[in-house]
Amino acid sequence: MIINNTGQPGGSTTVKIRGNSSIRAGNNPLFVLDGIPLSGTSARPGGSGGFSTDGGNPLTYLNPSDIASIDILKDASATAIYGSRGANGVVIITTKRAKTGEPTLNLGASVGISNLLKKPDVLNGSAFRKAIQNYTPDDVATSDFGSNVDAFDAITRKAPTQNYYGDITGGTENGRYRLSLGHLDQSGIIKNSDLKKYTANLSSSFKFLENKRLGLDVNLLVTQTNENLAPIDVGVGFTGNVISQALQWNPTRPLYDENGNRTYVSSNQINPMTSLAAYKDKAVVNTIVASVSPYYKITDDLEYKLIYSVTRQTGERTGRYIAGMIDSSQVENGMAFVSNNTETDQQLTQTLSYNKQLSDDLSLNAVAGYEFLDYKYYWNSESGSGFNYNGLDFYDYLNYSTANNRSINSYRDPSNQLQSFFLRASFNYLQRYLLTATIRRDGSTKFGENNRYANFPSLAFAWNVSNEPFLKNSRIVNQLKLRLGWGETGNSAFPSGASRDRFTFGTQSITQANFGNPDLKWEASNTLNAGIDFALFNSRLSGSLDYFNKKTTDALFESIIAQPAPPSGKLWVNLPGEVSNKGFELSLTGNIVSKKDWNWNLTVNGTYIQNNVSGLTGYYTTAALRGQGFSGVLGQRMVNGQPLNVWYLAKFAGIDPTTGTSMYVAKDGTVGTPTNDAKYDPALNKFYVGSPNPKYLLGITTDVTYKKFTATFNMNGAFGHYLFNNTMATVLGLSNLPGRNIGSYYDNPSLNESVSNSASASTRYLEKGDYMKMSNITLSYRVGNIGNTIKNLNVSLTGQNLFVLTGYNGFDPEVNTDGSDADIPSLGIEYLPYPPARTILLGVNFSL
Amino acid sequence: MKASKFYYVVLIMCSLVFTVSCTKLNEDLYSELTGAGSSKSVSDLLTSAYSTLNGPYQQDNRWCLQEITTDEAIAPTRGGDWDDNGIHRALHLHLWNSDNSYMLNTFNGLGNAIFQASNVLRFNPTAQQAAEAKFIRSLAMFDMLDLWGQVPYRENLDDFKTPPSVMTGQDAMDFIVKDLNDAMKDLPTAGVAYVASKNAARVLLMKLYLNRGVFLNRQSPTFSKEDMNQVISLAKAISASKAYKVSDPGHYFDNFAPNNDKISTENIFTLYNENGVRGGSVDRTWNTVAHYNMLPGGWNGWATLSDFYNKFQSSDERRGIYYDYPADTTSNKSQDYHRQNVGFFAGQQYSWVTNEPLMARNPSTAPLVFTPEVTLRTSGATLETAGIRPMKYAYDYKSVGQKNNDWVVYRYSDVLLMQAEAILRGGDGTTAEAIEIVNRIRTNRGVPALTTLTLDDLLDERGRELYWEGWRRQDLIRFGKFLDAWQEKPADVSPNTLLFALPAQQVASNPNLTQNPGF
Repeated sequence: MIINNTGQPGGSTTVKIRGNSSIRAGNNPLFVLDGIPLSGTSARPGGSGGFSTDGGNPLTYLNPSDIASIDILKDASATAIYGSRGANGVVIITTKRAKTGEPTLNLGASVGISNLLKKPDVLNGSAFRKAIQNYTPDDVATSDFGSNVDAFDAITRKAPTQNYYGDITGGTENGRYRLSLGHLDQSGIIKNSDLKKYTANLSSSFKFLENKRLGLDVNLLVTQTNENLAPIDVGVGFTGNVISQALQWNPTRPLYDENGNRTYVSSNQINPMTSLAAYKDKAVVNTIVASVSPYYKITDDLEYKLIYSVTRQTGERTGRYIAGMIDSSQVENGMAFVSNNTETDQQLTQTLSYNKQLSDDLSLNAVAGYEFLDYKYYWNSESGSGFNYNGLDFYDYLNYSTANNRSINSYRDPSNQLQSFFLRASFNYLQRYLLTATIRRDGSTKFGENNRYANFPSLAFAWNVSNEPFLKNSRIVNQLKLRLGWGETGNSAFPSGASRDRFTFGTQSITQANFGNPDLKWEASNTLNAGIDFALFNSRLSGSLDYFNKKTTDALFESIIAQPAPPSGKLWVNLPGEVSNKGFELSLTGNIVSKKDWNWNLTVNGTYIQNNVSGLTGYYTTAALRGQGFSGVLGQRMVNGQPLNVWYLAKFAGIDPTTGTSMYVAKDGTVGTPTNDAKYDPALNKFYVGSPNPKYLLGITTDVTYKKFTATFNMNGAFGHYLFNNTMATVLGLSNLPGRNIGSYYDNPSLNESVSNSASASTRYLEKGDYMKMSNITLSYRVGNIGNTIKNLNVSLTGQNLFVLTGYNGFDPEVNTDGSDADIPSLGIEYLPYPPARTILLGVNFSL
Repeated sequence: MKASKFYYVVLIMCSLVFTVSCTKLNEDLYSELTGAGSSKSVSDLLTSAYSTLNGPYQQDNRWCLQEITTDEAIAPTRGGDWDDNGIHRALHLHLWNSDNSYMLNTFNGLGNAIFQASNVLRFNPTAQQAAEAKFIRSLAMFDMLDLWGQVPYRENLDDFKTPPSVMTGQDAMDFIVKDLNDAMKDLPTAGVAYVASKNAARVLLMKLYLNRGVFLNRQSPTFSKEDMNQVISLAKAISASKAYKVSDPGHYFDNFAPNNDKISTENIFTLYNENGVRGGSVDRTWNTVAHYNMLPGGWNGWATLSDFYNKFQSSDERRGIYYDYPADTTSNKSQDYHRQNVGFFAGQQYSWVTNEPLMARNPSTAPLVFTPEVTLRTSGATLETAGIRPMKYAYDYKSVGQKNNDWVVYRYSDVLLMQAEAILRGGDGTTAEAIEIVNRIRTNRGVPALTTLTLDDLLDERGRELYWEGWRRQDLIRFGKFLDAWQEKPADVSPNTLLFALPAQQVASNPNLTQNPGF
């Protein structure tokens, strides 16, 4: 399951393979790029205090046109070879390799437009007028300004995208190369935000010596991404960010006055156009990934390979905030910051592969290896305030700031090294019986002294039934394979230094920040899976069915230390609890029509997952719900017998007809409103009301080809989960009237809801998250060759994120706002995100 | 061929083995220490220990537990504002449970202070550093005892596996008294109020002895003569040091001013706030109370109850005055409008920029008139404006970011009032002496002298003198009134609410803690 946490170009994503397994530490899978295990962190410096808080996508530096394939490893036997980092699955990304032959030039270009896909409904001018006459008739005169303005429309735009790409590839068997260059210019649908990317990728392969036994692969990837970020801070206070300000803007009030100046209301009711103008936020990330990989065929069966790679990313972020635009008493108090991040990763992997036909019936494929990984991370940041706006960007002259309002900071992560040995052996008997065994021994500097090294074994067995004599010539069954596997993998996504006593520095002070735990170790996942792969009817129908059962134990957790304890002091422990994810995956591909001119394929894949937590002592709370009137409100728990991140909220029972306030269910089952009786206070009566983890995931892909036309459709959806619409709860409630706009959802006079009704963390805002999204439609036409110069011209029209079928009232059922509390992640909250965009692109590519 | 092939294989295997002869995996720290080795780092640890008190004291944690649960303060839910999961309503109605985040944050904050202070003692501090650390620890432990009746303690700060032991009642008080007496000789005799001094330790001891009966039996305390005499003799020792005097008339608010570290004559112990150096959130005294349209605007707004406000006579300086102070850069001072700017804000409010009457926000045509009546959930025309707003700390307009007003913990007037109370509760001395002590304060505050003094009168005087300084709950419990009904609160159904609920997380982490009865 992949969720875009935000609609921002280059924004962070959440990827969950086979469910949510970790209570605390990161749930994202391990990404491996051409054999290089990535650190998974983005080098874009973070933001706060009104600047975008999104963490950024660590894979932004890749150019999708450079990617040849993406393989997702889910089974334990496949991931076990990644040992202490493979517990959440592994995504293998392979970039395009050099092709032999005459040098060929491929060029591609696409241009397109993005616009807003979906947003919560708010009232327009006339509906708002009616609403204030109905709910707050005394204030109509002061709240109706006569116009009809769509503020959200004013902050968004139809955003153009351009993408240019070219690659040159050629060479011989013994020396070939591929050079690609790309440029992406993607504007965001929120004004002033965009992403520009410049990528260059060089990959080459050489073979030396008479017998061509010595080979060398050299790869170099260089990318620069420049971003202008929209000021969307999800941790913002009651004044909100540009999204809430646009949603709440009084639609009868013009955004600009007669002189063309932005309307100023007050310092806590902010004109969204002012927010856009007051913030400027640029991030530049430079990435270099270089790898050198010599290999030597010692004998025909034995090959030795070494990979040495360096990844270096530097991110710089500069931002400025013109305080005087927002609050006229703060004209002298503009602020700016400059932050830098540097990440240097090195890898040394040596492998020895052995491929031999031991006898006529039995063949062996074995790999033994050693790997050493080193990740270094350093950041610094400076900020100051006391600037008044005179046309220059404050971050270019930080020395002007007042001495008492400066902040400087630097930090170097503790060393993070991983040293491993691994061995895998696959036996193939008669092409029918396959046995694979893997063992990996990992040592990490992150683990406590007493548990530095760990072993991760796995065993898999497969039976190619279709190669058995009784099925060999079957016309119905073309392929039938039964698989059974078991393996143990680990998760070590916790920060370095977690197992040591650490004292951090404050201004002229030190504080103990961490209690050391020399027993700290990786989180272990034990997976059992069984599957059937099949192809029937001349491979017209193929697919696979898998059952998986994954138990994660020794959950990594920052536990609460009993007081007296260090402030924000942490104790990393492995919890005795267990998270279990089990379910089924079914994938069916049908070649429905297969004729000379006509071809129609349909693939459907579905997953059913059941998630459960057990063995914890007590419970842990997370999911910070935010907004006006919601401080310190947490909506989810990790507790035994419930799925991970189960919703723990009050049960809403309608609006009380006499007082117009919300009614809730009390613990004894009766219903009432707290206005009349404090026993119904929603804070005192909470229940477990649903899970944010989807039960069913569905993907549908179909492509139809007719002669030279191809149409591809991709849909995906998730079902059985609940999302909390935090935007609707605190930003658009009825109490906004008469000064601010409300959600159309609340404009329901028959309810007789009172304007002084307050929102609380209840099921009123918990919505079913079921959706089906048309994520991609591509129509392409293969023009073919034009004359002697242009070969393989292809024209395509692509639509991404075209529409969503859902009952959810917020921006996007796929959005995941960060509501983590004390580093326990949350899931399923939507609060003022960068809105999702629909993009339509027209592209052409050809070779010369 | 075979030999050279074999040679190659051996070469590769050897190089593999060579590189494979492991790198020792060492986790090096670059930006942090693994211990506090040097003496500079001990004083850095001590600075940290003082700063840790800012969390429970200056943020709304301990303050809310000691004030919103009383007849002095209320944090009403105003429409969509201040609902916050009902934590404020729960406090005022005495209906809290173990999930309340104020209890959690206060317990953790005080626990952190105990830890930080004990950590200083681990690393060879000087005698004075050790004494200051012991004072900080005692202060935090005293608060724990007052709020929960249980004080967790770690013998060995290195060992997180052993759950901390828990002291209650007499044991806890003996520990604190011993700590303070040990520290007394090494604490400075005089100096700035934000460094623990002998007098600060004496005040803490006075609080302990005065409340000892309460900590042993909350519902029906008995006050022993020895304890009361201890209180009196400590008060006399503080007075004998001649370091403090009751603020002169017109200077009550000096104790809370931005430069109170220089001009206050009463502050005995404060928490240090200095722009550009360090400090806590003293501006929350303004933020949580002021209306959006005041200067500076706040989040509108915690208030006091009308019955409490009516205890003040109109000549009482403490009720509110125009206070002239250097950090006031508004037109109120420069243009001589001289509108009230500290104390209880009631009735029509005025702008300090234009001197015009201020308006409310929703609707913006309604005048901003703070009404004495306020309900737990406001509604209708007075949704925004209900409730009189007390703001004691004069706003520091000159500092951007950290404000300079040091947070007041102990004051000399409190010492005198405790001395008078001890006399009334059976200590050595006559009621006339007690009356005279109280009148010393009253005269300087602009109210007529008393001729009689009962315990109820003394409670009211403590209310007027120390309003919103974080003592009301402790005082109400001691005077046996915490369970009574008052505005917007019915009488408590059980005496369990004389203690707060221990946070559920902490009870789960420490088997030696037992949840207080009823929660």
